[in-house]
Amino acid sequence: MPMNDMLDALSPAGALPMLILRVLQSESLHGYAIAQRIHLLSSEVLAVEEGLLYPTLQKLLRKGLVQAEWGISETNRKVRFYRLTPQGKAELKRELASYGRITQAIQEVLRTA
Amino acid sequence: MREFLRRIHYLINKRRLDAELQNDMEFHREMAARAGRKNFGNTLRMREQAHEAWGWTWLERLIQDLRYGVRLLVRAPGFTLMAVLVLAIGIGINVSAFSLFNMVALKPLPVLDAERLVRLERRSPTSYTSEMAYPSFIFYRDHARTLSAAIAVLGVPPMQIDADQQLTSLSFVTPNYFTELGTQAAYGRLLDPDSDGNADSPAAAILSYGLWQRRFGSDPNVIGRVIHLNGKPVTVLGITPYAFASLGGQHPDIWLPIAQQPYFFQHSAVLKDWTNASVRMWGKLAPGVSAKAAEQELRSLTNELRHEHPEAVWDGEFIQSSPGGHLQVMQPQMYQIAAMIGVLTLLILVVSCANVGGLMLARAVARQHEIGIRLAIGAGRWRILRQLCTESLVLGALGSLAALGLSCAALKLIIAKVDAPKWLDARPDWRVLLFTVGMTIAATLFFGLMPALQIARQRQQKTLARQILVGAQIAASSVLLIVAALLVRATQHALYTDPGFGYEHLVSIDPQLARHGYTAAAAKDYLNQMQNRLQNQPGVNAVSLVKLPPLGHTVANSTTEIRGKRVVIYPNWVAPDFFSTMAIPLRMGRTFNTGEKHVVIVGESFARRQWPGENPLGQTVGDGAIKDMVIGVAGDAHINALSDDDAVEQYWPEQPEDMPDMVLIARAAGEPGSLAPVAKTIATTLDASVVPEVRQLKMLYRENMQQIETVAATVSVVGMVAVTLAAIGLMGLVGYVVTQRTKEIAIRMALGAQPLAVLNAVLLQFRWPLLVGLTVGTAFAAYGSKLLRVGLYGINNLDLVSYLAALFTLGAIAALAMVLPAARTLRLNVAAILHHD
Repeated sequence: MPMNDMLDALSPAGALPMLILRVLQSESLHGYAIAQRIHLLSSEVLAVEEGLLYPTLQKLLRKGLVQAEWGISETNRKVRFYRLTPQGKAELKRELASYGRITQAIQEVLRTA
Repeated sequence: MREFLRRIHYLINKRRLDAELQNDMEFHREMAARAGRKNFGNTLRMREQAHEAWGWTWLERLIQDLRYGVRLLVRAPGFTLMAVLVLAIGIGINVSAFSLFNMVALKPLPVLDAERLVRLERRSPTSYTSEMAYPSFIFYRDHARTLSAAIAVLGVPPMQIDADQQLTSLSFVTPNYFTELGTQAAYGRLLDPDSDGNADSPAAAILSYGLWQRRFGSDPNVIGRVIHLNGKPVTVLGITPYAFASLGGQHPDIWLPIAQQPYFFQHSAVLKDWTNASVRMWGKLAPGVSAKAAEQELRSLTNELRHEHPEAVWDGEFIQSSPGGHLQVMQPQMYQIAAMIGVLTLLILVVSCANVGGLMLARAVARQHEIGIRLAIGAGRWRILRQLCTESLVLGALGSLAALGLSCAALKLIIAKVDAPKWLDARPDWRVLLFTVGMTIAATLFFGLMPALQIARQRQQKTLARQILVGAQIAASSVLLIVAALLVRATQHALYTDPGFGYEHLVSIDPQLARHGYTAAAAKDYLNQMQNRLQNQPGVNAVSLVKLPPLGHTVANSTTEIRGKRVVIYPNWVAPDFFSTMAIPLRMGRTFNTGEKHVVIVGESFARRQWPGENPLGQTVGDGAIKDMVIGVAGDAHINALSDDDAVEQYWPEQPEDMPDMVLIARAAGEPGSLAPVAKTIATTLDASVVPEVRQLKMLYRENMQQIETVAATVSVVGMVAVTLAAIGLMGLVGYVVTQRTKEIAIRMALGAQPLAVLNAVLLQFRWPLLVGLTVGTAFAAYGSKLLRVGLYGINNLDLVSYLAALFTLGAIAALAMVLPAARTLRLNVAAILHHD
């Protein structure tokens, strides 16, 4: 992982694609639900801005990591649900692995320095 | 790659996908509102960011700009039409010139393996000829391994079919001619290397499609029929296809196998003579062999040939190859002319671009307000500049499309008008399209960028840009006009100056005795009899002999030595009574005596130049031990080269060995037209196999003049187009200045300024560009017109009359184009204008 990407991955905004892929791993969700899920799971630390969420989703669509399908929301509205593609699953695996390595390395430094 | 496909998919379904995104975001907002959140930010901005992720923003902006540009152009139809028309003319002339060049020199002939065909010509440091002796051709053909085939073409004078009045052009070719070009017969069959290659094969002819239509009414039964060529029976084998592309841009009407040349020209030694350069040679490179490699091999073969037949090879001779599969092989001297035409047509483009640039500047005034607002609400200058350039590009593209149409139509017309090969296609190919695209970009940059920069900078004073545009227009127009004036003057000069001999009543009768294998003695006998019988005919005043007849097929020039200096001359060999027959006056001395040697007669102005203030009689010319003595001075006559006014003709007495090459010149008392049948009747009684070519000098002279006139007329039209464009452009610019400064002028006039002073104030800013433009243009024309030297037919390329006429015309037109709109200031209603504000 090049230096820039590493820094990106460590900032909350840079980690967003990974977070999205992760919450989509078990089920497909619509945009608002993705934001909600990340918000809840981060104990309300991470609030995903709309202005960041949708461009990121478009980027994931472009790269073929997620797919959009029509579904019915809990409020009975027709809305698109985002689902992980096989490429998305593979990408998530790769990202998690490298992210784990980096955080581990950082913790190592923090502990021993 | 997948990602790219997804991007394309997005682009195609953009509308639907954007709607879906909007739906997502609306839903998001609804849900957020339920959760009690109120702040959503700028949705529009967010949506924009979201679809920027697809990476198509630049394209969308471009489309936006294009749409906006087109809308603006549609809203100003007058301006758009004018600009497109002016650009269409400017670009169209360039595209036409390039298309012509492309058709003639770049496009390969539609023949088999055109790219492997090479033209092979003899060169040495001092000499050059496009023809070689047939035995040399055979030698090269048999020994060259770099050539997979060799083709020879022997041109001969036209012959008579059966009893036709009109003679028919023909070529002798090697029997592989059609098979190597990959040509299939339209009817019958074409020549076959196996059966038509021998001298004793039955005499056979291939007819051109055109001749078959004209002469034989498209009758397919003509195959196998026997026709007579100059009295010799020949069987018609086949017809070439309608659009047959023959080598070297010549299209004869009949092709005959070269081995049968002696059948038509009895006793001819052309096929055996090592010293008679008579055939043009093409080679086909063996697969994978470069032209350079072939040249290399031929070079060593030439050295071998020099050992075996020293008489056949010049000192330092080598064979040079050039691409052969084109209509025209470009010679270095043609490059110069092509370059000159290129410069002239580019000048037209400069004029039209400067013109459109002026129009754009003038329009910018009307748009200052709009652009000011756009800048004020935060559009970047770069964005405005891009918008303006996009607009120009739309104009440029429209102009180029119109130009392509115009040039295609013009070329079709030209091809139909002149007797062009049928396979020529006026439709633009990829080279022409590429050229047009290049032209469009160059033109757009030229007429669009400068005004765009000025407008984007919101400069109120656009004086410099305007002055550059005016200067460029004036400079380019003056070059074009000067060149046009030079050519027109040259035409008039050629038309109204005496060629120096009485061409109106002369005919040349060329029996081509050398081709028929006549010896010197037999030729002398033939010519004597012909001369005697002709002289006895009523209506014939005089008959004489000349080696190089006026306006003939060959022009020779060479150098001689006079007082240690080398001088270029046009040599000729003539009989004693040549001068009286041609009506060339003898100014000094005498004509030749029969059988005289080492004497020479020179032209009048040549003598004056070489021996100023001295008696030319008794002077000597020539190099080597034995010099020739000047015994007479003749009036200036342009016998060899009509176009050369320097008249450096030198005449030597005819020698016995020249006889087989001599041509008869006869002067008729009245109309020379009646001499042709008479000469032919006499010729038949002397030797039926010799059919002389009889040409009226009056006709040849007229044809020659027509060519000169056509060129001059074309350039004049181009020059006038340029001047008209420049005039329109200047009018527009001055008119615009007046509009821009109306208020200022009104105030001045209200304060009591004299009308003339106001007019001066408007026009004064154009004084320098006008002067600089004229000076630069004149200097450029003076420098560049050296190239015209060949075509100027005896006038100096610095001819004062041409320059003055051109500059005066341009000055007058420019002045008129400026004063007319400026004069509007004099009629301004001062009170109304000032009241308005």
